[in-house]
Amino acid sequence: MSFVMVKKLAVSALLLLACLPLAAQTDWIRTGTNLGVEKVRLAVPDLKSTTQGSESMLTAFNTTLWNDLYQAGLFDLVSKSFNPAQSPGQPSEVVLSQWASPPPNASMLAFGNLNVAGSDVVVQGWLYDVKNPQTPQVLGKQYKDGATVENARLIAHKFADEIIFRLGGGLQGIAETKIYFISNRTGHKEVWVMDYDGSNQKPITHFASIVLSPRISPDNSRVAFSWMTNGWEIGMYSNELGRLVSFPRFGGTNSAPAFSSDGTKLAFSSSRSGDPEIYTVDAATGGSLKRLTNVKGPDTSPVWNPKTNAQIAFVSGRSGLPQIYTMDAEGSNVQKMTDQGYAISPSWSPNGQFLAFAWIRHYGPGAPGAQDIYIMDVASHQWVQLTHDGGRNDFPSWSPDGRHIVFQSSRTGRDEIWSMLADGSQQTQLTNNGSNSMPNWSSK
Amino acid sequence: MAVRAEIFEEHEHWATGLGVSAVLHIALTAAIMFTGWIEFHHMGENWGGETSGGGGAMSATLVSAVPLPHPAVESQNVLANESKGLSQSVPAVKETPPPEAIAIPDKEAKPKKNQKAPTPRDVKKTAPPPVEEAKNDIPYGEGGPVSSMYSNSGTNFAMGNTKGGLSIGSGGGDFGSRYSYYVDAVRRKVTENWLRYEIDPHTPPGRKTFITFDINRDGSPSNVRVEQSSGIPSLDISATRALQRIDTFGPLPGAYSGNKVSVEFWFER
Repeated sequence: MSFVMVKKLAVSALLLLACLPLAAQTDWIRTGTNLGVEKVRLAVPDLKSTTQGSESMLTAFNTTLWNDLYQAGLFDLVSKSFNPAQSPGQPSEVVLSQWASPPPNASMLAFGNLNVAGSDVVVQGWLYDVKNPQTPQVLGKQYKDGATVENARLIAHKFADEIIFRLGGGLQGIAETKIYFISNRTGHKEVWVMDYDGSNQKPITHFASIVLSPRISPDNSRVAFSWMTNGWEIGMYSNELGRLVSFPRFGGTNSAPAFSSDGTKLAFSSSRSGDPEIYTVDAATGGSLKRLTNVKGPDTSPVWNPKTNAQIAFVSGRSGLPQIYTMDAEGSNVQKMTDQGYAISPSWSPNGQFLAFAWIRHYGPGAPGAQDIYIMDVASHQWVQLTHDGGRNDFPSWSPDGRHIVFQSSRTGRDEIWSMLADGSQQTQLTNNGSNSMPNWSSK
Repeated sequence: MAVRAEIFEEHEHWATGLGVSAVLHIALTAAIMFTGWIEFHHMGENWGGETSGGGGAMSATLVSAVPLPHPAVESQNVLANESKGLSQSVPAVKETPPPEAIAIPDKEAKPKKNQKAPTPRDVKKTAPPPVEEAKNDIPYGEGGPVSSMYSNSGTNFAMGNTKGGLSIGSGGGDFGSRYSYYVDAVRRKVTENWLRYEIDPHTPPGRKTFITFDINRDGSPSNVRVEQSSGIPSLDISATRALQRIDTFGPLPGAYSGNKVSVEFWFER
């Protein structure tokens, strides 16, 4: 009798033991949404430095990190004047209660130190969850590179991207992306490149001709553009070789090249048959020329749906004033997206959901005629106006994270490059020198 | 006699004190009037202004958080809604009509030839009406809350080892408290991808859809399903689409040992 009882007890105990790890395997999160989300309140005190001669790097790092985090549009940055008198440089120096309570009232804290060891700059950075005193550390990183201001900026970009990746739910930061654009500051319209925040502006081409609509390939290896060389032709410039590489001439006026997001195809507009039509070729060789449109009236400015590469949006004047259309990548299933005014320069968002474009909604005599940037949900045709500040706004281009748009605006009296969050906020001027136009955001 | 005389005798000379007091009062009155005159002529017209000192009439105090009024949301009353509920009510018994009475044959009247006496077959035909099937299945979208009610604030989340909210110990089940930043990131990402214009604008506020899904180690969502419908198809679809738009929430925190996290996410119109 007692043996049976012991056996029963043992079996139930075993069952219980077997059940325990099962119960502990899956964690449940219960959460929800109805009123939108608030931004993360993030405190970013200046990094500490104990070595002499690192001031310029320290300033560059602190400025870059702050700008990157501000531009991300994810954070409500704590004004530095709210910070406690003693900024931490090491985890042991952090007093979480000082940061969690007003005036900083932060929920996250990014801090660290920057020192020069020999010819290297060494940065240690941490990200702490201030409201979680038990396990505050979210991120701890150490970076080492040659001791230059440029490298300090690069490290700041990398650290900012790490923070954005952690707190943005896997969002890939754009701090290391580039913007290609056309500038006339050398006296000719050439292709230039700059960091996404407008710093580090450098010329790419020196053709002493006219170059328009630069497009960077998805792997950053080549830049396609249209340029004036015995007629308008598509040019291909290799970033790796630092020179123009051969690309076929198609005859007629060729313009507005656009890489597919896998980098295999190039769509462009060509008037080789008389009327400007959309064509595609292999991006590597320029072979397998294929005509997609065949309607009277100009068709130009093609862009691929980067999510699927199965659709192309373009501008067509087939019904009078230019309007945005979409079609399948073989040229079938043409659909009109806008039905009034003057709509040009489409750019397809990386997730395939939205088209950004420039639109004069009321075009003609007596109409206000402001040209602004709009985005449209491709599925529902619902649109939102992003710029309202006057001038001519044109050539929107999406950032690879789908949260920013770079565009050209004449609101200061001259064409300059501006960037903004994709909801129209945080509009920032990136260029100040000469006339700058036709920006294109690199995809990594 | 000597005693009585002492009572009325003046021991103190209060004339001096009275004089001093009178002088003091006069001086005080004069001082008050003088001050009033000074005030009137120098500052009387500037009260409340910048020169009156004291830092102005109003001052602003920094507060950490202003408790903003929550928008009035009519949520379903748990106790008295139109849900059929799970309990089965007893079907009402229909009264069976009494079988037609057979007239007592009149002695005078001739019995009708055609009239037949009720046969057992006729009795069979008037069978009792079929018992109505109990409708205890919950119509689409009319069920009660799944396991518990959640706060409307949008900032709360509840954690437990089990789906029913039963909390037995805390063996590894403290994801929400240890990695609250990750939970916040999930909520932010889902909210950003939830396009409210997909919802039927006639949807009354307060309707909720409950979606459950898993987040794998690499951050990708899987097993997205509607756990409880709101009864508004467009709200359910918009919630599912929000999850379908998301490729990743970012890898689970490195220190977390589990392979996946299950999420119950409600979307409230």
